[in-house]
Amino acid sequence: MSLGDDFVEDDEMNMSDEDGAASDSEAESLSDSDNEITEKLTEPTKTAVYNRDGLLDKLQDISWPEDVEWTHKLTVEIDQGQEAVDVNDDLAREMAFYTQALEGTRQVFGKLQEMGLPFLRPADYYAEMVKSDTHMEKVKSKLLYEKKQMEETEERRKARDNKKMAKEVQSQKMKERAKQKKDEIESVKKWRKQRQKSGFSEKGAGELDLEFGNGKSFQRGGGGGGGKKRPGVSPGDRSGGKGKSASRMNNKKREFRDSKFGHGGRKGLSKQNTAETTNDFKGGFRGSKAGGSNKRQKR
Amino acid sequence: MGKKRKHSETEAAALLKKDDSAPERPKRTLLGWKEKAQDAEEPKPAPEFRNKEKVLVTCSRRISYRYRHLMLNMVSLLPHCKKDSKVEAKSSKGATLNELVELKGSSSCLFFECRKHKDLYMWMVKSPSGPSVKFLVNAVHTMEELKLTGNHLKGSRPLLTFSSNFDKDVHWKLLKEMLTQVFGIPKEHRKSKPYHDHVFAFSIVDDHIWFRNYQISVPHNEADRVARGGLDKMTLVEVGPRFCLNPIKIFGGSFGGPTLYENPFYVSPNQIRALEKRSKAGKFAKKIKAKTRKKMHELSNPLEPDEFADMWKDDE
Repeated sequence: MSLGDDFVEDDEMNMSDEDGAASDSEAESLSDSDNEITEKLTEPTKTAVYNRDGLLDKLQDISWPEDVEWTHKLTVEIDQGQEAVDVNDDLAREMAFYTQALEGTRQVFGKLQEMGLPFLRPADYYAEMVKSDTHMEKVKSKLLYEKKQMEETEERRKARDNKKMAKEVQSQKMKERAKQKKDEIESVKKWRKQRQKSGFSEKGAGELDLEFGNGKSFQRGGGGGGGKKRPGVSPGDRSGGKGKSASRMNNKKREFRDSKFGHGGRKGLSKQNTAETTNDFKGGFRGSKAGGSNKRQKR
Repeated sequence: MGKKRKHSETEAAALLKKDDSAPERPKRTLLGWKEKAQDAEEPKPAPEFRNKEKVLVTCSRRISYRYRHLMLNMVSLLPHCKKDSKVEAKSSKGATLNELVELKGSSSCLFFECRKHKDLYMWMVKSPSGPSVKFLVNAVHTMEELKLTGNHLKGSRPLLTFSSNFDKDVHWKLLKEMLTQVFGIPKEHRKSKPYHDHVFAFSIVDDHIWFRNYQISVPHNEADRVARGGLDKMTLVEVGPRFCLNPIKIFGGSFGGPTLYENPFYVSPNQIRALEKRSKAGKFAKKIKAKTRKKMHELSNPLEPDEFADMWKDDE
């Protein structure tokens, strides 16, 4: 029977049950009415009703008339292509749904455009949306948060890589410098030996045909850093330019503290009024800028 | 009632203006085909087909929060629906629900039934004599999830896309027709909004119907024309909700009647849970058996007395 064949084929395609262990579970048989066709499936314990005629009858009953305008239904069928999407592969499945919807929308828009009906929302059309504004705010804040997290991790990774790179470069430079130093010392020793050998004759003094690196070694780093200039160090900086930049950037704080306690501290007058503080009844530290400038003036 | 009259008046006026309707055909009502009485008024065009679909959305008592939110999402997606209060547990079979549907004057019903606080079944029923389908609902994600970022007009008519598998077999065709009628908003519905900015995607994968709702975002300047090349730049953002329907049975009547189709691969969630428990239950029994077996074995094969057992005992 062709129906039976169709059904068996169907089964073989869909052998993997979505619920796993169902092959031994279904054992019910249903009550037959006169025009039902019970199909025996490949697994003998399953008997299921499949009344095609009845289904077709019902379909005719509920269908809308044949020549209803398509704009009432707004349906479109998309051919999925032959590859069956694996249900458990989330990404592939969602991609399939997405492409189906996209393709459908394209077709529909083409049709609607031909019909000349308005179908796109104008920018000034404000109406109630299906999700409230507060909800969309939450969504936005979550998206921003995620973006921020990603950026931060990126930055951290980059900083780590840069540090590694910088460390490598620096170790290279150190090695080079050490090597050069050794070379120089070696060359001086050699020169001395030569002089000894030649008996300290004055002739040989001029013949310093020893390689001092062609004078380049006196240049900083021998051009190894790519001619990179070191940032200038301020004269008051006792760390020799190697201190943390943060401590150098903390200028405002440092200035304030310096003005208060530096060079033996401040003379009296700290408890006397100035023009600004005369009318300040609350008193107290009003903020570093105001306080700092105040104190600095009274010096 | 006054509102309804006004609507049909304006529609008749619009029809007279357009006058491109199909030739006269029997007026379709829910109860059957009504032949047009007079043919004398030729110039007056026949009233066009009007989609008078009304969906009643209810749920059973003891429904859990996630499914309740799903139901509320459905209510907001379908402006042609009426939400009703919860129905008692016993009335999910038979007459009570039919009466309720008739009372409210709706032509179809979406009934969410939650069993054991865990499983959600959805009944989709066409009212007076229509077929009804019972689904098991899985993989529910409501619109409130923050990962579903899209938004669209409330009540705008969706575009319905079906995968081509729906035409492969009769029961899928029936389901497709029912889905179109229930999820498609009638054309000039009071609460519907004019533009199309979202699309429903129904696909059949692994004998389940998967539902997705996307917002359409396409760059455009006018309301009836897409910008040049805009169709290629169209993107879809998911709005939600998302769910997966597993058809269990199709009945010939509403909420009952002769079974027209039964899904051969359907296993009820109760059975799945029972199977799991059974497989776990075997573990303890097996352990006990293994212990007794070991004891018997030891008794039957006693070990030889070990010569060196007391070697270190005296060495203190």
